[in-house]
Amino acid sequence: MRVFSREELSRYNGRNGAPAYVAHDGKVYDVTESFHWKGGRHHVLHDAGQDLTESMGRAPHPAELLKKFPVVGILRD
Amino acid sequence: MVERAGINVDQLVELLVKNAAAELTTYYYYTILRVNLIGLQGEGIKEIAETARIEDRNHFEALVPRIYELGGKLPGNLKDFHDISACPPASLPRDPTDIKAMLTVLVEAERCAVRGYTHICNLTAGKDHRTYDLSQAILNEEIEHESWFSEFLGEGPSGHYLRRGETSPFVSKFLR
Repeated sequence: MRVFSREELSRYNGRNGAPAYVAHDGKVYDVTESFHWKGGRHHVLHDAGQDLTESMGRAPHPAELLKKFPVVGILRD
Repeated sequence: MVERAGINVDQLVELLVKNAAAELTTYYYYTILRVNLIGLQGEGIKEIAETARIEDRNHFEALVPRIYELGGKLPGNLKDFHDISACPPASLPRDPTDIKAMLTVLVEAERCAVRGYTHICNLTAGKDHRTYDLSQAILNEEIEHESWFSEFLGEGPSGHYLRRGETSPFVSKFLR
């Protein structure tokens, strides 16, 4: 499985044709096909290419929603 | 005043516009749905679909003044508005007699709305009382809509009652 650094992850921001990847709890998910990540933004406040582990605690939905998206790698700290 | 309370007004306005777009597109979906809710099964859910239809339109109308109060505005044409919806625009199932498929679309739309208004309530709580009050009122109605459709899908009893009398018991104060 591919290992991403935070800098590498930030390139997958969903803009200018780039795929949209987000990290949570050490896993990197491909959310490119999600309506809710159109253009690499999620409900105005969140950008693709980021680690969402901390902000997920404040989300109005459980982290399990991410499990329907393909895991494309792991995030290395 | 809202900005001084720690709210990013541009972000808040964008969220309100996107949710207003979701309400109007859902209103359209409920309208075509209502036309297709026929037969023994369809007629059974027509009443709650009609209530949700009117209330989603009310949500759109209640959101618009707050968007402009905060210095925002709606897009100049309906297509642009549709395309920025906070929730996936619902569409009629390929088989319009498939009531379960219709209900599934509805319950997902309502769940998206519940998450959206919970998000806005969380952002504005204790900071922007007017937007909070409005979002909480809409949230209360969206939760009820979700429960009605969820029950029809057999997901378990919600404990909620159907409307008795007027529509929009929570949001109507913003429409006077």
